[in-house]
Amino acid sequence: MGPWGFVGLAYGIVWGVILIYWYCLKRRYRAAAEELARLDAEETSRKHG
Amino acid sequence: MASNHQPRKKRKGILGALALVAIAIGQYWNLAVVPPDAYQGEVQRIMYLHLPSILTAYLSYFLVFIGSGMYLWKREKRDDLLAHSAAELGVLFTALTIIEGSIWGKPTWGVWWTWDARLTLTAVLLLIYTGYLMLRSLIEDENRAASAAAVVGIIGFLDIPLIHMSVYWWRTLHQPPSILRPDKAPWENVHPAMLTALVISFVGFLLLYFYLLSLRYRVGEMREEIKQRRLERGR
Repeated sequence: MGPWGFVGLAYGIVWGVILIYWYCLKRRYRAAAEELARLDAEETSRKHG
Repeated sequence: MASNHQPRKKRKGILGALALVAIAIGQYWNLAVVPPDAYQGEVQRIMYLHLPSILTAYLSYFLVFIGSGMYLWKREKRDDLLAHSAAELGVLFTALTIIEGSIWGKPTWGVWWTWDARLTLTAVLLLIYTGYLMLRSLIEDENRAASAAAVVGIIGFLDIPLIHMSVYWWRTLHQPPSILRPDKAPWENVHPAMLTALVISFVGFLLLYFYLLSLRYRVGEMREEIKQRRLERGR
């Protein structure tokens, strides 16, 4: 592997891993936000129903 | 409740956008503008990732240290949440630092890994904070888990000065610090174009770090809220 190969490998792994982590974090964020919204909706329907 | 979180969500969005712009500028600068190093050639460009990654990891562990200390003192959940969120990101950036270093080591030292003092202590740092995260999931009682993790978070931070000083205290393959040296200012030691690249890259990493930290912290906050509400409902 040439010098640019090592550079490409390092940059590719770093930004690839960060992108995967960000995507997983966004999914965790969305899942928690949806669960909270569901709990909100259930509480509201219990209060009014 | 939703309206309270709207400004925070907007701030997170702005931070994320700023991080993206800074990173894009940084990558262009690192790969296309800065000339190659006189001795190492093109492969030295890995430094523009390597140094910001480890400095970001250090910052993260400093926040773990502060959050852990505050939690043990005041017993407030938000301090534990900050420490927990920062530890997760610290592990991410330490792992990336080790991977970048390994890729840089192969063409410059001829090996992917060596049991050099600085490398070994950095691997120990990664193990300590991976242990911190594992400990939290192994202890069922949340308060006990938070207290035990806080102790690890504080003790683990002591490894950072050791890592920094390791290149002075032991004969190492790893080079001494180029930027944070006690005898010279950074601009006396590094070419201005390289220093500019490092600064831009570091700013990008910092913005990205605070964006990810705010997102991770909010996930923890929401999970805590869900748990509390379920407990209240169960009563």
